[in-house]
Amino acid sequence: MIATAHLWQPFHEFVFMRRALLGGLLLACSTAPLGVFLILRRMSLIGDAVAHGILPGAALGFWFAGLSLPALTIGGLGAGLSMAGLAAWITRRTGLREDASLAAIYPISLAGGVLILGIAGKRLDLLHLLFGSALAVDGPTLTGMLWVSGLSLIAMTLIYKPLLLDTLDPLFLQTVSRLGPLAHGVFLTLVVLNLVIGFQAIGALMVVGLMMLPAAAARFWSRRLPVLIVVAALLGSLSVWMGLLISFYYSLPSGPAIVLVAGGGYLLSVVFGPVHGLLRRPPLLTSQ
Amino acid sequence: MIGCQALRWGAPGQPLTPALDFELSKGSLTAIIGANGSGKSSLLKVIAGLQKPLAGKVRLSVPIKGGVSFLPQQQHLDRQFPISLQALVAAGFWGNKQSPEIRSQRLKTVLENWCLNGLEDRPLMALSGGELQRALLARLSLTDAPVLLLDEPHAALDELGQVLLWKHIHDWHLEGRTLVIVCHDLAAVREHIPCTLLIKSSGCAFGPSTELIRQLPQAQVA
Repeated sequence: MIATAHLWQPFHEFVFMRRALLGGLLLACSTAPLGVFLILRRMSLIGDAVAHGILPGAALGFWFAGLSLPALTIGGLGAGLSMAGLAAWITRRTGLREDASLAAIYPISLAGGVLILGIAGKRLDLLHLLFGSALAVDGPTLTGMLWVSGLSLIAMTLIYKPLLLDTLDPLFLQTVSRLGPLAHGVFLTLVVLNLVIGFQAIGALMVVGLMMLPAAAARFWSRRLPVLIVVAALLGSLSVWMGLLISFYYSLPSGPAIVLVAGGGYLLSVVFGPVHGLLRRPPLLTSQ
Repeated sequence: MIGCQALRWGAPGQPLTPALDFELSKGSLTAIIGANGSGKSSLLKVIAGLQKPLAGKVRLSVPIKGGVSFLPQQQHLDRQFPISLQALVAAGFWGNKQSPEIRSQRLKTVLENWCLNGLEDRPLMALSGGELQRALLARLSLTDAPVLLLDEPHAALDELGQVLLWKHIHDWHLEGRTLVIVCHDLAAVREHIPCTLLIKSSGCAFGPSTELIRQLPQAQVA
């Protein structure tokens, strides 16, 4: 009984822990389908690139308005979207791969951000931006996260079918519908939006971990897309919960604790997962 | 139905053939033949509106979205994609306004027609090349498009699959659909397809299959 009490007691006792948990769970649920689709679209590393690219916008926002949520959000959103947009535009015009364009643009963006922080000369901790602190989620940030995750879940439901076909067989989708590029655009926007709202809670780089690790782990548990998304959301939520507890009881930074728990889940899935896992029995493909 | 005027296609700055003009009437059945790299698949994509021509025009008398169905080569597909065969085939219902009952009945019939019963729940990874090809053809069967563009539909199909394929092609032809088929099997083209478009970098030729293919004994060996 005492052991189970430890699992929820901190959240019962402290408002900041409750906020961190709620925010983290929201983020885990809304990033799960995004992470799964990023992997299926072979864009696994793009979250990372965008997370870095957000920095100059956030830095500019900080320069002009200090540590204010709207300023950081608008700045990050502007930088992230213009970076993703520029990469998509270069890709469409030149026919080169999107990951190459993004990989070329995000160092520019990141270096620009660090430079702006240097010029601003104020003490915005770069580490705080990149790695964040879940325990600093305040009321307005939580409200923002609620809106973002609600919006992204609704939007993902709406674009699910065209996005699925655009990922699996873009040529087929192009012959039956014009929705492919729109679905792609909405999807990238959602990725940026989630990263921006997430970086204020658990840090730009850590939110990428929360997005990709459960999604990568889920592939070891199912071959069905809806199941993959649910498994990813559950794994992400579990990581948030356990990570926050670990960070609470052992006084560790919360972002890395969450991501390391998710990482542990990923490694366990690699070994024990029934689908591609290392220990799986020889695949029996029953067609009944 | 499908008209091409002074059409040139290929990589930018490197058109594959001299400007091409041809006109395919409604309900026609045409093969596209030619060597590897001559631009058969690209031409099909240009007609389907999936690739921009370098010059010239393609005119279609049907709406480009929904009026044309395109069978891509299957290496475009990610075999690890977590989706079942049935879900892949059912994507052919895109834009379809029929009731769910009619759709599920049609899906069942089409799966039977392509000998895919029993494989409905298999993931793509667990399908053989021929099974996947039949699944793509089954999806195409559900689209109801008046123009069908098939890129190497016989690829990976065994003998039974080929028989099924030609039977369907004849049925579609009888229904009055317009078919364009990229095909390497010249003997089969001669037997089943009345008109042929031969793509060559020195110039294209269009005519009855029996005449065009008789002139190319060496190609038949290859």
